[in-house]
Amino acid sequence: MSKNSYIVITNNPLVLERLNEGHKVIYKEISYEEILKEARDRIHDGHRLLTHPLSGSVKPNETPYKSILITERKEKMDEWSVKIIESAIQACGKFEFKSDKYKPEVYRDFQLIDWTLLESGLASADAW
Amino acid sequence: MAKIKVVHYINQFFAQIGGEEKADYPAEIRVGEIVGPGMALTASFGDEAEIIATIVCGDSYFNENLEKAKADILAMVKEQAPDVFVAGPAFNAGRYGVACATIAAAVQEELGIPAITGMYVENPGADMFKNQVYMIATKNNAAGMRDAVSKMAPLALKLAKGEPIGASAEEGYMPNGIRVNFFEKERGSQRAVKMLLKKLNGKPYETEYPMPDFDRVDPNPAVKDLAHAKIALVTSGGIVPKGNPDHIESSSASHYGEYDITGVYDLTEETYETAHGGYDPVYANKDSDRVLPVDVLRDLEKEGVIGELHNKFYTTVGNGTAVANAKAFAAEFSQKLLADGVDAVILTST
Amino acid sequence: MRLEMGHIYIKDIQFGPESKIEDGVLYVSEEAVKAVALEEEKIKSVSLDIARPGESVRITPVKDVIEPRVKVEGRGGIFPGVVAKTDTVGEGKTYALKGMAVVTAGKIVGFQEGIIDMTGPGADYTPFSKTLNLVMVCEPVEGIEPHDYEKAVRLAGFKVAVYIGELARELTPDETKVYETCTIKEGLEKYPDLPRVAYVQMLQSQGLLHDTYVYGVDAKKIVPTILSPTEIMDGAIVSGNCVSACDKNPTYVHLNNPVVHDLFEQHGKTLNFVCQIITNENVYLADKLRSSDWTAKLCKMLDLDGVIVSQEGFGNPDTDLILNCKKIEAEGVKTVIITDEYAGRDGKSQSLADADPAADAVITGGNANQLIILPKLDKVIGTLDYVNKIAGASEETLHEDGSLEVELQVLTGATNETGFNKLSAR
Repeated sequence: MSKNSYIVITNNPLVLERLNEGHKVIYKEISYEEILKEARDRIHDGHRLLTHPLSGSVKPNETPYKSILITERKEKMDEWSVKIIESAIQACGKFEFKSDKYKPEVYRDFQLIDWTLLESGLASADAW
Repeated sequence: MAKIKVVHYINQFFAQIGGEEKADYPAEIRVGEIVGPGMALTASFGDEAEIIATIVCGDSYFNENLEKAKADILAMVKEQAPDVFVAGPAFNAGRYGVACATIAAAVQEELGIPAITGMYVENPGADMFKNQVYMIATKNNAAGMRDAVSKMAPLALKLAKGEPIGASAEEGYMPNGIRVNFFEKERGSQRAVKMLLKKLNGKPYETEYPMPDFDRVDPNPAVKDLAHAKIALVTSGGIVPKGNPDHIESSSASHYGEYDITGVYDLTEETYETAHGGYDPVYANKDSDRVLPVDVLRDLEKEGVIGELHNKFYTTVGNGTAVANAKAFAAEFSQKLLADGVDAVILTST
Repeated sequence: MRLEMGHIYIKDIQFGPESKIEDGVLYVSEEAVKAVALEEEKIKSVSLDIARPGESVRITPVKDVIEPRVKVEGRGGIFPGVVAKTDTVGEGKTYALKGMAVVTAGKIVGFQEGIIDMTGPGADYTPFSKTLNLVMVCEPVEGIEPHDYEKAVRLAGFKVAVYIGELARELTPDETKVYETCTIKEGLEKYPDLPRVAYVQMLQSQGLLHDTYVYGVDAKKIVPTILSPTEIMDGAIVSGNCVSACDKNPTYVHLNNPVVHDLFEQHGKTLNFVCQIITNENVYLADKLRSSDWTAKLCKMLDLDGVIVSQEGFGNPDTDLILNCKKIEAEGVKTVIITDEYAGRDGKSQSLADADPAADAVITGGNANQLIILPKLDKVIGTLDYVNKIAGASEETLHEDGSLEVELQVLTGATNETGFNKLSAR
């Protein structure tokens, strides 16, 4: 999949820093849950989800960062994508919000983990 | 230590007043009396608790005079100020089950007194209230009394003492939507192997985590000839003629309404409104076509896109209404729609 | 394949001048163990400690738990492709030191988690309160990246476990168990009337701190494949996973995989344990579709009647679990799945992030969001600096009296999804 056939939706500054030229990135300084909703709105619009929105074992509301891959192209709305993103948004409610309670250096670690999770998705996307 | 005080609720049958012919027996309290199944409960309580009063009420009386019966019984319970309220067990007696569940939930909700009941899982009372009040799963007839009481009594004591309540599988109550941890006797992998062997051998097994209910309905084939089809409107959005003549409840609706729209081309602020209590009603009240699109369907009727709009619509409130109730409503009015030769229905929700 | 497992029961661990096992007591030379760990150049220092069941000790942040083993007969060595060179393992003779574990600890990331309490209410939930633990707290060299640190601690733990396992090479086991599986044809001939059953194990494979290795291969890069269930007993699968303490599989769980062991218990009696199928839990959705297609295909090709599927982790893997279950069931193969739940602190939320009616036989390891109060313990191995940063902890985590209010999530192995524990929920 060529770099311009997918979009990265992220609130992680490290992703912005590390992604090389030619990637389509939607970067917004918003919460984990709001990133999921950004993805959801685009899925309703016909983009397809490429990576799982709950990637990573650090739970929503515990890490502030989330990066998601969706297709660049719009097609007929993909029901599986809708189901996954809706369940993910629902899951956010189960975890205590503590994204704003860490020491500064911890945020760098959260960013790094989110980046590596995305990276493993990018590796699959770029493989073909 | 003082004994835990229990008020017990039973119906006319278990009070040995009579069967169906005495089901209109009004609510009464017998202070200091232990009646019928109260004996078994008392035995099971041992020294820890005592029944200080028994309330007896006919099943028809309770269900047909719901509000009055509820208010009267609540007043009786309040006066006794028990530590815990026990209703039934009702086994598979439908109206008794509904009464037990309704009053137990009301005592807990309105008086803040912990309450418990027991009945067969298929008793309609179970589905209606099992998430609101602890409900012991019993056998489907009174032969299961001893078994039912052996679970109800200890749970009632725990509730009265404010002790932590274990998982449904440990305590014997019906799963109530709240997941509770506990330790099994065997580790998970052993349980998995056993469950697989049962599944392979076609034997019954019980999943530890039932998937959320999937009530998937396959869509009907498309209407072939829309131009000659009779289309009806049905809604769970609570649209009713102004004044809500049938008093459809704003939540947990107990009935539905059927209204004639012969000659109605537009639902206006003066003529229609919503009974729904679960969303901001301003826009629905201003123009009920927003929920029940009579205006648009009249246009389509005029343009010949559809054959005709059926002259009756069916409406209820979907706000917390029990699925079992909603199903029963639909089962009933679907027959009417069929009898009236309706080809297709547009179902709107909010 | 036929593997003879010799169990050597360890009754105590003590530090001493020379590493050896005598009368069931493991004596550890601190110097020798440190030298083994420090072969990893990225590790600056190692401190060793011993935690015994019942002691007022808290170990945190835990990275991995490993049972020492030694291969005494047959091909290959423990942890093939990682410590030993690559060779097919799972046959011959292997000794395991039972009742003990090597526990690695270290702050790899700022929100590093994993608590093992040796006593108190927490000890009821973590299985590693019941083992004698040789704990290695590893400090990294300066300026190291988390992924290099993770790898160094991971390898140091394996090497130390192998070093300790070697001490048992010449001993006579206290107990011997034989595990033997048949080839496809043998199985059909030997057990014509028994249902053919396999174990489908889903391996965490999402990225840094979320990885699992099979013969040294990163599991996110595999397509589903089959193993003889004895291979895991020699360390064919190891953990590189250190997030989500409660439901990640430490290497100890891979070595002692309870589904494998409990299926062996029934092998030849009520079922024919055909093989273990491993699959992954990648973040890329197309990978999920491919992997679940393959597991279902393997089940079909192996003419299986039933499988047990186990999960690892939360959220993303729920989707793999449901895909696997649905597709395997669609091939006519009866399925039981093992998971854990995130039902919220009040137990009222939807437990899984995915669901399907085909998943009608579920075993649960309990609700990981359940709150628990861990009283202050006398000694901490590692550091408490990060406890209010870990998953399932919050600002109010550390109470004035030194007790911790946390979710079960933080306890290593508490809601394990291979069915390692007795904890459940309804």
